[in-house]
Amino acid sequence: MPEPPLPAAPPETPFALVVRAGNALRLSAVGAPAARAGLGVGMTLADARARCPTLQTRPHDPAADAALLERLAAHMQRFTPMVAPDPPDGLILDITGCAHLFGGEAVLAAQAVADAGLTTRHAFAAHAAAARALARHGRAGGDVRDLPVTALELSADALSGLRRAGLATLGDLARRPMAGLAARFGADAVQRLRAIMGEVSNPIAARQAPAAIGARARFAEPLAHTEAVLDVLEDLLVQTARQMEARAIGGRRFVVTLERSDGARRRLVVETGLPVRDAAVVMRLLRERIDSLSDPLDPGFGFDSLTLAVPRTQPLGARQIALDSGDGASVGDDSVAALIDRLATRLGPDNICQLRPRDTHIPESAQQLVPATGTAAPWPTDAGRPLRPLLLLDPPAAVTTITSFPDGPPQRFRWRGQVHVVCHAEGPERIAPEWWRRRDGHIPGQHGLTRDYYRVEDAEGRRFWLFRHGLYEERSDPLWYIHGLFA
Amino acid sequence: MFQHAPSAVARLPLAARAEALPALGAGQLHEIHAAADDWAAALAFAFAAIDAAGRRPVMLVHAARQAVLSMQPYGEGLIGLGLDPARLVLVEARDGTGMLRAGLEGARCPGLAAVVLASWRRFPEYALTASRRLVLAAERSRVPVIMLRGDAEVRPSAAHQRWLVRSARASPREANAPGLPALDVELQRRRGGASGGRWRLEWNDQDGCYREAPDTTPTPDAGIHDTPLSGAVVCLSAVRTGLAGAAAASRAA
Repeated sequence: MPEPPLPAAPPETPFALVVRAGNALRLSAVGAPAARAGLGVGMTLADARARCPTLQTRPHDPAADAALLERLAAHMQRFTPMVAPDPPDGLILDITGCAHLFGGEAVLAAQAVADAGLTTRHAFAAHAAAARALARHGRAGGDVRDLPVTALELSADALSGLRRAGLATLGDLARRPMAGLAARFGADAVQRLRAIMGEVSNPIAARQAPAAIGARARFAEPLAHTEAVLDVLEDLLVQTARQMEARAIGGRRFVVTLERSDGARRRLVVETGLPVRDAAVVMRLLRERIDSLSDPLDPGFGFDSLTLAVPRTQPLGARQIALDSGDGASVGDDSVAALIDRLATRLGPDNICQLRPRDTHIPESAQQLVPATGTAAPWPTDAGRPLRPLLLLDPPAAVTTITSFPDGPPQRFRWRGQVHVVCHAEGPERIAPEWWRRRDGHIPGQHGLTRDYYRVEDAEGRRFWLFRHGLYEERSDPLWYIHGLFA
Repeated sequence: MFQHAPSAVARLPLAARAEALPALGAGQLHEIHAAADDWAAALAFAFAAIDAAGRRPVMLVHAARQAVLSMQPYGEGLIGLGLDPARLVLVEARDGTGMLRAGLEGARCPGLAAVVLASWRRFPEYALTASRRLVLAAERSRVPVIMLRGDAEVRPSAAHQRWLVRSARASPREANAPGLPALDVELQRRRGGASGGRWRLEWNDQDGCYREAPDTTPTPDAGIHDTPLSGAVVCLSAVRTGLAGAAAASRAA
């Protein structure tokens, strides 16, 4: 049973972790050299520094400790499938029937300690509570009856009460009638004592990796028709749907492996934007995938095995089907999410996009195309912003202009070989460059070019969004661009 | 520009008519024709037909290779037309056939508020059969399907309505600023109804929709802008930019 994971520190430097408790910094864990210097857990940092001026400290990070414990628990599964973390700093391994594989309990423990790579203590016992008490409060191979009463982990009052009564070990306690103990120190103390003594069962909640979702079909005779293969595939999808329903998850990625009788393998992969477990939806995606294959699915002499795996899953609860499915949230084949998945399978996920706002005032950066999921957060709508065009040219198109005075809107401009005479104009709306994103942008003259935007209407009634790239003091002949079209 | 729509037509006064502007109905296919320069007007007319209060997504299908101008819908501009940009799903198909297939899939999906297909110029795949397929899908799902045709010639199709949309001069605001969006729409064809109406629509900021509005702007005298100032006053030299400006500068030097 590995004990407190202490961070690696230079061996001879006293080291401790500190935690803020109220207004004081207190030590929450101490290394061996620090413990030798007389420091202990719970001491204030000021006291500790007075005793040991060379003390090195770091703030305590319980989240990192918990993550390390999880990693260790996963790693210990090479010794036994039954591993339960005992937070904050313990692991309980049920090695029943596993020890002989490693050459005995002692060898297994030595390997586990070496694998952990931390300063640890461990103990063996017939059940979890006793092993835990021995590791934390006794020594390996000891008897639980010799453990001090602190092994019950009661409050300080209760412990001093027990000591005053002359009860030093668990063996002393176990000899007394339990009723008196329960009356004085609570049912909790009795429960813990009986658990350590093995009088009540103390099961552990072992971490177990969930079994992979998948299904497989083997055929006595190879299937030579693609339609028959698809029928079997639908059966497999229904099976995996049941497995996923039991766990309230849905698949995001479905992988079908077709094994041909001559040994060739074909893999079909479909992905969905939202978790699904509806066989019909996945079936449509698979048909879509088969249709879009560059070389068609060739059964040859037939497929003799079909494997369906769902390597990526996400939580998906059971959903109530709305009575009026008019809000676009209807489940099943007709929903928008299914439509997006079908189109993404055919055209590629990058070709199905949604607009997402970005926090910048540079017009072309203020929106971003992201792969669509069917559900998106609404955009902020605040009135009073300057008018923006309906269509944005990407990239802005250079135009030749004639302006009547330098800082004004153009009088006429030529775009795509056509001259537009400006009748009405509004502006400028001055948009400064994001100098803070540029290298040396804070230096005057290095901040990039300012844009002056004008909303203009030509004689035909078309409205454009033009900008002059650069002020006249920034460059002598600023260029004009057309950046958008208004309705 | 349109070959089939000579500019003389645009100068005709709007015909007096009794009937109101027909709506772009649900479960129907509508064709909207526009020139490349009027593309934003056509898109705005299509988006204005979509229920602004709903939350259902709007699918906009386009084929990058077909497009004359490289541009994309701008979110903040859509807010101005009362459409939440988060509702827009942009689908980029490889070619015309892909666009029609994606549009057909969308037309079959009742969860959508509308399907808008943006197509340009010659589009041989979009003929009677393809448009009929779109009509049947739209009728079943009750989703309006709008086919935008840019710089295109009119060909027979199964669409319920065919519109021609042009930008119109907006009523100017104070300080000679361009006004709110204005359109000049012409109903060229309508299945089972009278066609041939023309309307001038102007965006109404209070109602958040297009309203019919007569043209109140005075016809701009193009001559003012074309002729230089008379010799009686000092002639301001116009500042030229771009290639013409550079050429003029080099001539002066």
